[in-house]
Amino acid sequence: MMSKLKRIVDESREHKTKEIDLSDRGIQNINEVPGLMMLEHLTHLTMSHNKLAAVPPSIGELVNLQLLNLFNNIIEELPTSLSGMQKLKILNLGMNRLSHLPRGFGSFPSLEMLDLSYNNLSEQSLPANFFFVNTIRTLYLSDNDFETFPSDISKLKELQVLSFRDNDLISLPKEIGELRKLKELHIQGNRLTVLPPELGNIELTGTKSVFKADRNPWVHPIQEQFALGKTHVFDYIRSDTYKYLYGRHVNADPTPPPKSTDKAKKICKKPLHSKK
Amino acid sequence: MCAALVNGASNGDGVVLPICKAKESGAAVTSETYEYEQAQAKQRKQSESEEKQDAGGLRHVDSFKPLIPSVSMTSQLAQAVCVRCRGGFTPVEQMVNSNGEIYHENCFVCAQCFQKFPEGLFYEFEGVKYCEHDFHMLFAPCCGKCEEFIVGRVIKAMNNSWHPECFTCQICSAALADVGFVKNAGRSLCRPCHNREKALGLGKYVCNKCHTIIEEEPLRFKGDPYHPFHFNCDNCGKELTSDARELRGELFCLPCHDKQGIPICGACRRPIEERVVSAMGKHWHVEHFVCAQCEKPFLGQKHYERNGHAYCEMHYNQLFGDVCYHCNEVIDGDVVSALNKSWCVRHFQCTCCNTKLTLKNKFVEYDMKPVCRKCYEKFPLELKKRLKKAAESERRQ
Repeated sequence: MMSKLKRIVDESREHKTKEIDLSDRGIQNINEVPGLMMLEHLTHLTMSHNKLAAVPPSIGELVNLQLLNLFNNIIEELPTSLSGMQKLKILNLGMNRLSHLPRGFGSFPSLEMLDLSYNNLSEQSLPANFFFVNTIRTLYLSDNDFETFPSDISKLKELQVLSFRDNDLISLPKEIGELRKLKELHIQGNRLTVLPPELGNIELTGTKSVFKADRNPWVHPIQEQFALGKTHVFDYIRSDTYKYLYGRHVNADPTPPPKSTDKAKKICKKPLHSKK
Repeated sequence: MCAALVNGASNGDGVVLPICKAKESGAAVTSETYEYEQAQAKQRKQSESEEKQDAGGLRHVDSFKPLIPSVSMTSQLAQAVCVRCRGGFTPVEQMVNSNGEIYHENCFVCAQCFQKFPEGLFYEFEGVKYCEHDFHMLFAPCCGKCEEFIVGRVIKAMNNSWHPECFTCQICSAALADVGFVKNAGRSLCRPCHNREKALGLGKYVCNKCHTIIEEEPLRFKGDPYHPFHFNCDNCGKELTSDARELRGELFCLPCHDKQGIPICGACRRPIEERVVSAMGKHWHVEHFVCAQCEKPFLGQKHYERNGHAYCEMHYNQLFGDVCYHCNEVIDGDVVSALNKSWCVRHFQCTCCNTKLTLKNKFVEYDMKPVCRKCYEKFPLELKKRLKKAAESERRQ
């Protein structure tokens, strides 16, 4: 196994191949792949479906990396050097065991796509500068534990895709309405009862758009509109009637609906030994 | 029109003061001439000038000779008195005779400065004599522009006096003294400038040929507006109307123009005489070939076509979204469309393992991202169950 990995690295070094696929090779530690961190010319590195528990700080030496895919590992800790990667555009950290993000995680200078689905993240996990990544186009946070989301979301002016499927959201920040480029919003499987009227400022009903919002305990008038169709929901939340009802609803400060137990069996929540 | 009133001349030299009044239709120019015809006057004989003597005029002597009383006149002169001081003369005293008026030498001075007249020149006004300097100071008009005295022709206009060369159009600076002027908003303007100003105020043009206002649609020729009827078609000779067209410095009526084989701009329907942009099966003025959304001209930059319209890159992408989800660039070549997104063919891949996919491969939708079957099989069972349930609930909606 080791020799096979070494051969891949050697080949890349010799032929200056820019993309390396090391997915599903049972790698537990990046040091098992000798010389990998020396491949400075590398632009794409895929290491999904392995057993990596950590990412070494030396990852920062791959200065030309544009894509780093660490999907489906058991990573709990990330090095701060990660966010210093100047050319990184696509970072997939989905299906890991992250419960917090390192300090300075928002300082990626060119990150466009960030996938943090299926981790143990919540609003407390975000470092102070998280919303500095204003180059970001897609942000996937499905299958996490967010109950609220900071209003700073409005700083992500380039955001086109925002996914919160199966979190514990009890409200959406009204600033979401400032994301003029947003084309996809996934909020299904949360604890949402109302939508901020500001969401009506964005167009999410076109053929190139995605708006998924089912499996939420919507208040009755919204549920009624969903039964008619998404365009009806948007027409409704733009109406003055709704703005009035929404204001009353928010002022009344109702107790949020209980959490669903659907995600309780998430593998990343279980202690590691039980995974085996 | 012009009446000269000779007010007086005396002692061999004289001052002629003709007053000129000129009136032109619509414009009032009053011009007074305050001339000093010294050279001419010098040639006049004493007797001649004495005949023209007029008590109320301006007088001038360029020299005065003391009268040496002759024997025969002695008794007469003994009774003579000085016009100014009314005093007599002692026998040896010198007298000054100016047109029969006799003065002591010291009494023959400027009424203003009491100094002798330099070189004997004096000016008389209402019986009082002044030196040249004081006469100018007291009576000569001052130019409204250069603020110097005006000697010679005086232009009276706009409640002021002017040197003829100082009274000019306030727009084009043409001299107005002889052509007349028009008052326009407190300004003195020449007629063409006035017409132009007036036309501008009315939102109309002034014909560059006859300089009158063009009431109808003007015809533009070499950049200037004209009455169309001043021109005839260079081809058929018909009198032109405002829809005539200029072509290579010549004017044609519309039918003759259209026969000349000039490309017509697809936007403004007017002929294109400079650079022609050929795109989308039509011709365009460079500045009229614009993005259908922002209306900015492409000016040679890449444009994108869709449904017979051209768009700039930004708006094409904004409107039609054929930007690759993966590389965020406009898709050059074939487009893979799936999951409400588009991809470059080479960028359509499994989001979990980055394996290239084609639409023939079976893939699974995961948050509207493509996931290959192999990766999907590796998903935790609990997630697969939830996703399946979610998909079912969505289908029910």
